[in-house]
Amino acid sequence: MNITEDELRQITLQAIDELGEKASPETVKKVVTEIIQKSGETVVDNTAKQTESGKVILTSFGLNHPGIVAGITQTLAGTNCDIMDISQKILSDFYTMIMVVDISNANVTLQELQQKMNAVADKLKIKIYIQHEDVFKHMHRV
Amino acid sequence: MPYEFEEILETIKMTEVEHFDIRTVTMGISLRDCYDRNIEVTKEKIYSKIIKHAKNHVKYAEQIEAQFGIKIANKRIAVTPISIPFDAFSSKDFIEIAKTLDKAAGDVGVDYLAGFSALVQKGFTNGDLEMINAIPYALAETKRITSSVNVASTKAGINMEAVNLMAKVVKKTAELTKEHDSIGCAKLVVFCNIPEDNPFVAGAFHGVSEPEVTINMGISGPGVVLDAIKNAGFTDLNTLAEIIKKTAFKITRAGELLGKKVAQMHGVPFGIVDISLAPTPAEGDSIADVLKAMGVEDVGAPGTTAALAMLNDSVKKGGLMASTSVGGMSGAFIPVSEDQGMIDAAKAGHLSIEKLEAMTSVCSVGLDMIAIPGDTSAESIAGIIADECAIGIINDKTTSARLIPAYGKKVGDYVDYGGLLGKAPVIPVSTLNSKNFVSRGGRIPAPMRSLTN
Repeated sequence: MNITEDELRQITLQAIDELGEKASPETVKKVVTEIIQKSGETVVDNTAKQTESGKVILTSFGLNHPGIVAGITQTLAGTNCDIMDISQKILSDFYTMIMVVDISNANVTLQELQQKMNAVADKLKIKIYIQHEDVFKHMHRV
Repeated sequence: MPYEFEEILETIKMTEVEHFDIRTVTMGISLRDCYDRNIEVTKEKIYSKIIKHAKNHVKYAEQIEAQFGIKIANKRIAVTPISIPFDAFSSKDFIEIAKTLDKAAGDVGVDYLAGFSALVQKGFTNGDLEMINAIPYALAETKRITSSVNVASTKAGINMEAVNLMAKVVKKTAELTKEHDSIGCAKLVVFCNIPEDNPFVAGAFHGVSEPEVTINMGISGPGVVLDAIKNAGFTDLNTLAEIIKKTAFKITRAGELLGKKVAQMHGVPFGIVDISLAPTPAEGDSIADVLKAMGVEDVGAPGTTAALAMLNDSVKKGGLMASTSVGGMSGAFIPVSEDQGMIDAAKAGHLSIEKLEAMTSVCSVGLDMIAIPGDTSAESIAGIIADECAIGIINDKTTSARLIPAYGKKVGDYVDYGGLLGKAPVIPVSTLNSKNFVSRGGRIPAPMRSLTN
């Protein structure tokens, strides 16, 4: 962490201001050193900041065969995801299934759920996509 | 179910089959507070500021990609036009600044950083001249820096001194990067009416009226529009315009959503969505293919300009309704080397530089990524730039020239950069002389159009 001269001056001036009458060369030095050490440690990271409703759309399709719904729902149950709606269509050998899933109380992040579902998709030789609900809301609702 | 089955499948089809992606999420960073008398301190300030704001840029964008299942092809940075805050420096210092920017871009993991730029439509400051003269060396000695210079505007007219200077700079850049097919020229754009919030590299920069830090989004999606047109069958043009509008609406909405989410993660204001159809050399991601699907045999056929005008207008109308903050270029791009259909048309001789010039009068940019013979004179290049600027100032629109006078190459040869920059055949330029016109210098006065008050 590099601090420019300007920033250092600002920190010092603010420290003097806040210390008021207590300001002496020693106390100011102590406070400024503390601030600089602290600022070195704080790495701003908003990765976990997610403000959405927590609903995702899981779309799955491929050749129909036994065990597909079981495979998917098992993983959803295991991660504490709540299925709010299911809809599916079968056209000759092909199926398409769409689920609305609430992941608000899930014990995994969306990325981890996607990774788990990729493994399921590989095993069952089908395709599974998980996308946040908002993208459908924005694209198809005015 | 809150959504129709077909709606969900349509979105999946767009992202998985039709190459729908967000072309770029560009973080604009102001460098106006980074000046110091001492060049070393300036470099330190620039580096720290970029790292401070853009450290998580790539990471956040990737997280949003995963969350919404839509790919963001490029994560980039734009900065304040370098000539403005650092006006007091010399050419040598500007090259140092370019290297610092290059290092910062590499360290935060973005492929391009744009804004090695100057705005000289009305005249040069000393710093502008020093900076422009540094461009060929800066582009030759860095990998990730792109440069743009605005030489004309509707309000100011065309600065012919700047046009002539830029023609020489383009030639010099081609020479200094001759080992790599004059790749420096692919990173240098000469503009008229440059937008201040364009997220698309190489012409991006962070305008002087922009906030401290902002996120701008550039959408893409020629593949989605292409499929929509193909599926529509042989309809009349009203219906076709409607189809393009609806498609543009959907992709713009997705773009705006993702842009806002990335900005939210950074805790910075969201800027604009640039509703441009931007092609890539990938199969099915081509503007030329869209024009062909509309009915012209190949790009360059009579009717091409009309088809492009309609496409461009429909994309704007759909996009405008979809987003409250439209900006940047907003229109279709027709770069030759970055679009397989355009490459093929140029190779087949269907596409001349004159037809391309006509097309630029109805789309969002100008003569873009066009390889011309290496021995084209600086005067001819100046003439081409001046023609583009004339289209821009009279029609009150952005135009540009990103020409590659490929050093040592002649008509029929190729420049090949791979990746997004693609590959282009060298096409002929008229050998008629315009020296006695361009060398008069001075300024072409601002047109009638400028007196709008």
